[in-house]
Amino acid sequence: MTTDIIDTEPKLLPGDLAIWLFIFMELLVFGIFFVVYAVMRIQNIEMFNQYQLTLNRELGAANTLLLITSSYFVVRAVQAIRINNVKSCIHWLYAALAGGLGFLILKSIEYSDKFSEGITLATNTFYMFYLSLTMFHFLHVILGMVILFAVVIKAKQGAYNAQNHTGIETGASYWHMVDLVWIILFPLVYIIR
Amino acid sequence: MKRFYNVHTIWLAMIVLTLFTYGMGKIGQEGILVVFVLLLTVVIKGSLIIYDFMELKGVSLLWRVIMFGWLTTVCLAIAICYLISP
Repeated sequence: MTTDIIDTEPKLLPGDLAIWLFIFMELLVFGIFFVVYAVMRIQNIEMFNQYQLTLNRELGAANTLLLITSSYFVVRAVQAIRINNVKSCIHWLYAALAGGLGFLILKSIEYSDKFSEGITLATNTFYMFYLSLTMFHFLHVILGMVILFAVVIKAKQGAYNAQNHTGIETGASYWHMVDLVWIILFPLVYIIR
Repeated sequence: MKRFYNVHTIWLAMIVLTLFTYGMGKIGQEGILVVFVLLLTVVIKGSLIIYDFMELKGVSLLWRVIMFGWLTTVCLAIAICYLISP
């Protein structure tokens, strides 16, 4: 009887509750940003459609593939630590970091192209949204990588095992949030018209 | 079916959906129906991340409502904006 009750109890959120409160706040901010973009587009449809075509969809798609794959690597890292395979966990985390680094490099190439054409936040409303939205996300990728790197260092010091790996789940949850936001940002800014 | 539902196939499904999204943009597909289809792929991919990658499967309903509520509200708001565009 007691077992039945335990089995039906919902499980806890993975990682620290504090990171989830942070994630909810971040999602709220990004959500407002996305909706404001869509609302502003109503008043500037021709401009948004015209300048959206100047964006590099190939790099945008490649970055989406990188973030999704990086998120998958983080899932594998969490799975590895749950069976006490610390070495494998660290390898997967390094792979995830490589994915994040790849994202930053491709995004920097994209920014470099735009800046060399003289495009700034002040160029027009579309570029204002494109630059501010993607740069805001860019900063979150950097923060996510810092968190993952801190997790790698602690894992190397032997801080995590099958019984104690809340820190890894915390970093993983944040990294998945960064991926989740890009999943909406890419089609919204680069594709949908 | 359950045999094929794991993190590997979920990753693969998201890759395929991303390539589909890119393809729709590449061939220049436009219109409200295309917007809805692309937003549907966003909801599917987002749900897979929330449910399976973030592991919200089985957590308290409150947390799931917050996360799925955020995803669907944002996508619905975007869809409405594109629907009422002149």
